[in-house]
Amino acid sequence: MGRSGTKTALLFDGRNDDDPTLTLLHTALVDGLTAAGWVVDDWRIRDEKMAWCSGCFGCWVRTPGECVYKDASHEGDERASRADLLVILTPVTFGGYSAEAKKALDHIIGIHLPYLKKLGEDTHHPPRYHKRHDLLAVGTVPAGQGGGVEAETFRRLVARNILNLQPGRQVNAVIESGTGEAEIRSRVRGLLADCGIRAPEPEEVSA
Amino acid sequence: MSASQAGGRKALLLGGSPKPEKSSSESLLVYLGEQLEKQGAQTETVRLIKAVRSEEATAELVAALAAADLVVLSFPLYWDALPGHVVRVFERVAAARAATTPATRPAFAVVVQGGFPEAEQNEVALQICRNFAAAAGLDWVGGLAMGGGGAIEGMPMSKAGSRVPSVVKALDMTAVALAAGDPVPDEAVRLMAKTTFPAAALRFMGNWGLRSRYKKEGDGRGLKAKPFG
Repeated sequence: MGRSGTKTALLFDGRNDDDPTLTLLHTALVDGLTAAGWVVDDWRIRDEKMAWCSGCFGCWVRTPGECVYKDASHEGDERASRADLLVILTPVTFGGYSAEAKKALDHIIGIHLPYLKKLGEDTHHPPRYHKRHDLLAVGTVPAGQGGGVEAETFRRLVARNILNLQPGRQVNAVIESGTGEAEIRSRVRGLLADCGIRAPEPEEVSA
Repeated sequence: MSASQAGGRKALLLGGSPKPEKSSSESLLVYLGEQLEKQGAQTETVRLIKAVRSEEATAELVAALAAADLVVLSFPLYWDALPGHVVRVFERVAAARAATTPATRPAFAVVVQGGFPEAEQNEVALQICRNFAAAAGLDWVGGLAMGGGGAIEGMPMSKAGSRVPSVVKALDMTAVALAAGDPVPDEAVRLMAKTTFPAAALRFMGNWGLRSRYKKEGDGRGLKAKPFG
């Protein structure tokens, strides 16, 4: 994680299984970020032994900034605190993140301070660190449902999440299952560009 | 359906808070359950942090859900959405019901509370619940969203109710409606979203409460500690 001068992306791999489209997206994200010179902290959550967040707020009022659990969740706050970009890869699940992705996300609220502060229109938690966290969320829906209500809910969710990561920016995309590899790689390059990350074209790499 | 006709309506109450005690979501659910019973409903309560522990426990939940006329979920807002363990239960329930042709279509209502004063910050979470209802073959009958949930401090509503009188009214109205087979009333939605104090006052009180708790439980490094900064 985080050699001096390099930027780090923490990839919340929220796959529940080896879904082919999500797997293509995962590969394209890792390849694109790596080709752009980023360090990818690839967090395959389903392989972790991690309890559900107990809602104890210990990471706010007992050991500020650190989860009180000593399982994989304990590392979550540190990994997130060092990341310049948080990437969430997930099947769109009723318009939200998968349980796997959400399990890890629930454990990293320590990157926020507990205080309630008016930021913009609403109340939010200010950041604990000076580092800016951008957010890239990529979800998949069944074929033909890219314009459906769950896809729309997902976009709204990501837009709300970034309000708690101010002043970061958010980029989101909903990809339909069955999308081909070439299109996925093209879409991912576009998404990374929207995040200000220029991943070289394949021909640039081979040249 | 009138209240008398609704007598004996089976209500399954789902506790979405992972905390075993001092949970504001649990306080709201318990109170709503009590009011439903006063309206003649039979209630059963399942804590989802227990139901998520095994496939078998979730299967029991699926069976209980199929036998209910009404399902009510209460949960705290996490990251603008539902806690992870509730999502896991949603995934399993929807998959189980999609694998068969459910004989029943219970009504589904939701209560969500968050620490932020603005109740509208719960809107995406409510929409996720509504989407789940559609996927699981449940009849969405509405949701109540509360801001400033910290005012309850996990106390029973018999003690906390005076702090949030409009919330108590909203739950009372909702119990009457749900027991009668009606949707969550619009007026109850409005009352639930109404805070007793202005947002600035709620922020002040919330931050004061955090500092007090840190003095009792904290590790001495300060609330603003940067262990990885």
